[in-house]
Parts: sequence; C-alpha cells; structure tokens
Amino acid sequence: MRSLLRQLPVETYVVSFTVALWIVLSISAPSFLTQSNVSNIMRQTSIAAIVAAGVLCTIIIAGIDLSVGSVVAFCGVLFAQLSANGIDWPAAVIAALLAGLIVGLLNGLAIGALGIPPFIVTLAGLQVYRGLALLMSGGMTVSGVSPNVKLFARGTAIGLPNLFWAMLAVGLVIHYLQRYTRTGRYLYAIGSNAEAARRQGIDTLRITIVAYVISSGLAALAGVLLVSRLSIASPSMANAYELQAIAAAVVGGASLFGGRGTVLGAMVGALLFTTMGNGAVLLNVDPFWEMVLEGLLIALVVYIDNLQKRRQMGT
Amino acid sequence: MNRKSVIAASVAVFSLMAAPAVRAEDHIAVIVKATTSEYWQWVFKGAEAAGKQLNVKVDELGTPKDDAAGQISVLETAAGAKPAAIVISPTVAEALGDPIAAVTAAGTPVIVIDSGAKTDKFASFLTTNNEAGGRAAADALAACIKERSGKVAGKVAYITAMAGHESLDSRDKGFVEGVKAYPDLKMVGNRVANNEEAEGMSLTADMLTKDSDLAGIFADNAQMGTGAGASIQEQKLGSKVCVVAFDSDSGELEHLKDGSIYGLVIQDPFMMGFAGIWYGYAAAHGARLPKNVDTGVGVVTKANMGDPTFAGLLDVTKRKLAPFIGN
Repeated sequence: MRSLLRQLPVETYVVSFTVALWIVLSISAPSFLTQSNVSNIMRQTSIAAIVAAGVLCTIIIAGIDLSVGSVVAFCGVLFAQLSANGIDWPAAVIAALLAGLIVGLLNGLAIGALGIPPFIVTLAGLQVYRGLALLMSGGMTVSGVSPNVKLFARGTAIGLPNLFWAMLAVGLVIHYLQRYTRTGRYLYAIGSNAEAARRQGIDTLRITIVAYVISSGLAALAGVLLVSRLSIASPSMANAYELQAIAAAVVGGASLFGGRGTVLGAMVGALLFTTMGNGAVLLNVDPFWEMVLEGLLIALVVYIDNLQKRRQMGT
Repeated sequence: MNRKSVIAASVAVFSLMAAPAVRAEDHIAVIVKATTSEYWQWVFKGAEAAGKQLNVKVDELGTPKDDAAGQISVLETAAGAKPAAIVISPTVAEALGDPIAAVTAAGTPVIVIDSGAKTDKFASFLTTNNEAGGRAAADALAACIKERSGKVAGKVAYITAMAGHESLDSRDKGFVEGVKAYPDLKMVGNRVANNEEAEGMSLTADMLTKDSDLAGIFADNAQMGTGAGASIQEQKLGSKVCVVAFDSDSGELEHLKDGSIYGLVIQDPFMMGFAGIWYGYAAAHGARLPKNVDTGVGVVTKANMGDPTFAGLLDVTKRKLAPFIGN
C-alpha cells in the first residue's frame, strides 16, 4: 500500500477532488451536466488555466510571479487599443505577446542576473504594469475592438469552445516542454537544488529567463483571450489573477519550494475553482461561504499532498 | 430638468459673489473611490472643466481600487496640504464619517459627492438618488419584459457588484422595492461579485443556467453591466432576456447598441465633479450651500439613445460646459 501511495502522481488529489465535485454537482443540480453549462465552465476556466500554467513554470524553479495579473491587464489593454485603432488582429496579437515576452525577459534578468528576489521583482512588476495599463487607457474602458476578435471567444470547433482548445494547446506545449526537453528537466533541477544545478553546469540564468518569459508570455495570451471574451479591455481587469493562478498551481501539486508541479495539475486546479464558483450559483450557496470553502480547500489539498511527499521522502 | 436649473441658478448666484480676486495657487482636492474606474474618470473630467473656469488647480486623488482605509489616508494627506476645499466620494459611509467631520472642523469645507458619509459636518452633498435609480431600473425591466412577452410576468434576478457599498445597496434596495410593485414578477436571486467584468459575465451565464426561463437581470454598476451584456451577447439571448444596468461606460454602450442590454440607468458623474468644484470654491469663499442636491438619473434605451439631451451624458467628450442649458 505504501509503495502504491508513493507512486501516485502529484495531480492525484486535485483530480480526485474535482471529479468528486462534478459527481456531487451532477446529482444535486440538474442543470449542471448540460452542454451549455459545461461549455460555460470550460470558457470560464480557460483563461485562469493558461495563467496558472505560466506561473507554474516560475514556481517550479522555486521562484514566483506576482505580476501576471497586471500583465494580463497591460497586454489586454495594449491589444484592445491596437485593434480599436484599426490594426489587424494578427498583428495586434503578436504585439501583445511580444510585450509579454519583453516583460518576462526583464523579470528574468532582474532575478537571474541581478539576483533580486523574485517576490520583490514581480511585486514591483505588479504595480508597474497595472500603472502602465491605466496610463495607456486613461483609466477608461477600451472598446471598439474589431468584430473578428470578439468572435474567437464565442466560437466553437467540433462542438467545444475555442477557448478550451486554446487552453488544451497551451497545456500540451508546456507539458511537452517540461517532460520531454532538456530545458524542462533543468527547470525541475534548479527548483530541487539550485546550487547543485549550477555546479553541474546548467545555465541557471537562461533557464530562469525561460521560466519568466513563459509566465508573462502566457499572461499576455490570457489578456488577448480575455479581451476577446469581454469585447472590451478594462485597465482594472484581471485583479488578483496572480493569486488565483498560484492557488491553482499549488492545489495541482506544485510546491512553493520548487522542484514539483505539473501543468495538468495546475489546469485541473483552475477547473476545480471554477467548478466551485459555478456550483455555488446553481445551488444558491452564499458567495461568502464559497470563498471560505475555497480557502479551506487549498489548505486541505496542500496538507494531504505534503503528507504524501513526506512519506515519499521518508523511505 | 428641474434639478439642473437649481444647480445652474445656484452656480450663477455664487459666481456673482466674486469677492477676492482668484489666486492661481488656490487648489481644490477631488478624492474619488477608485481611480481605475471610468465613472470616476468622468468625475475628474467635470472637475477639470470647473477648475479651468475658476482658475483653480484641481488635485485628482484617490485609491486605485475601493479601499476605505486607503481613502482615509488620502483625505488626511490632502487636508494637510490646506486646499481651498475638498470634494470627496466616501468609499464606506461609516468609516469616512469622522475623518470628514475632522476636516470640516479644521476649517476646510468638504463637498460630498455620489455616496454619503456618516456625518452631517459637510458643506453640501451632491448625489444621484440611488434608490430612485434602482426603482427606475425595475420599471425599465418591467417595460422590457412587457415589450417582449406582452405581459409583466416572469423571473428576475440581480447582480451586486460588490458587498458593503452604500450606493450599490441603495440601488439594490430600490430595485427590489420597484419589483414588488409588479405582482407577477418573481425575484429569484441575487449574486455578489468582485467588481470585475469577467465575474459579472460568469455569474450571468451561471444564473441563466440555474433559471433558464429568467426574464430579466439588473446589474447594479458599470462593470456588472458590461459583464452581463457580454454574456448575453455570447449566448445571443438579447431578444429573450432583458438586462438593465447602471451607468454607461463604453462596453455597456456597445451592448446597448447591439441589443444585449435593454436599458441603462445613467447618472451624471461629470456634473458631480463639475458642481463639486464650484460648490467647494463657493463654500471656501463663505457661501451657504444647499445641504442636499440630487443630480438626477435618466434611463437610456436603444430607442432614445440618440436623443441630444443624452449626448453629453453618454459620452463625456461630447459634454458641453453649460450647466445652464440642456446638457
């Protein structure tokens, strides 16, 4: 039994909790397991899941990215303004993603080359990029986005929402990166023991930059998708997305000390929280209780997960 | 346009009490609830316009998001700079009551706008009657439901932008009271969000999943209105579900045009900023002001949105500076 528990993948708990919740909701809320509600849940989860996948990369190397919420808003506002000023959506998307990549590069350099703690660098980023979003938009909502942009988030392919496919695509790419490339293995190596990794000759600066570039890049993508979903960009949107993303990654099995975590876990973590929110409305649960439950859930899943980890390390 | 005439008349009278030559270093602080919101930006624009007329420097202050403790700090700092007057929209009525009374006691006149404070130690209070606005929303919703289905009957629900805000509570209260006047309208629920459009969008979709025969939804501020409109547009339910929302930021206007939102209850934030500065200036020069002024609400629908009276209210860049005529 012990050896079986040892072999359980990190995502076990979050997946079990989510499946259990879905079963409970299907029984207690008749409209839960309908095509339209499931589609809604998929759309609502996608953006949070993409941000979580990005933040996960920084958590794996024992860092953190608190600026992602602000980057979502910043790149979203940039994208919306370009689109509203007549720029074709492909160019606007590329511009927004480029902005995200540059933010990630700056974060990575500050952390990797200058040695400033990630918490501080990205906390500063949280303020700076939110401020830039507000400056660019003058504090006003940006509307007048091209109709093509709005259509993406509403559309489906083979019956499933486009946003879901985007989430799946991001998940597969990040999974491939983490599992099957050297860069991915180095991410986990640095997270497990940064000094040992450095002495082994791993270029920690490059890997750090990669992690933060992925994080901000995916946040930029999330910003574009959020604008598509809302048809507008608000400089105050994506508030506290960084905390939701970190919670999703951690509930999905990532350790803030680094070296653990998978994109499947992070995305299912995001799904778990969205499902709780959806269930709260369908069952008429007081939203304030729902917040308490979410917090307790995070604590519970992490606790159980750590029990398993301690068992693993103890043998 | 009665209240506008009152404001216009009082501004005209006070401007006659010219008195001391205007000193360019006179400054008046405007403290809003949340600088990141379009509504408050409109208040600033009104304040700037008045500042230009009076040759007064307007300090645009406030916390980025609703934060009562933060606002108290901003108020205390602003008061310390000894401005001619302070115009403030209190984030939380009880919390800002004593600080505002203290500022007044120290000799700086305070004009309260948009939301109340738990004190009567201020020079004047300019606001929308939010409860009346909520009732107007209920009437607009009933009218829409009647238009669509021939009778005023069905399920309605509302979304509260965030918990514990006096203006939102008043609007919700007015809406609930207004719905009671229609015996066949059944109130089935209320959800509270976190003042984000995306949350408003999710809540609308989920509420419609829960009650697929929901006839009408009231969203009590701009962020919720934009979110609800986006959800209705996404599900193409514009002709089936009636949505009435407060305020008119650009997202909501787009949805009004494309039919996802039926009606908007609009306030006059530009006037609150504009008259706030004028009143503050007047109070600083010794004028006695009316204690309460209602800046009014209007209901805009697709049918009447082209009406010139609404032009300046819907798009602050089109706002003409004369409070004396129309808009």
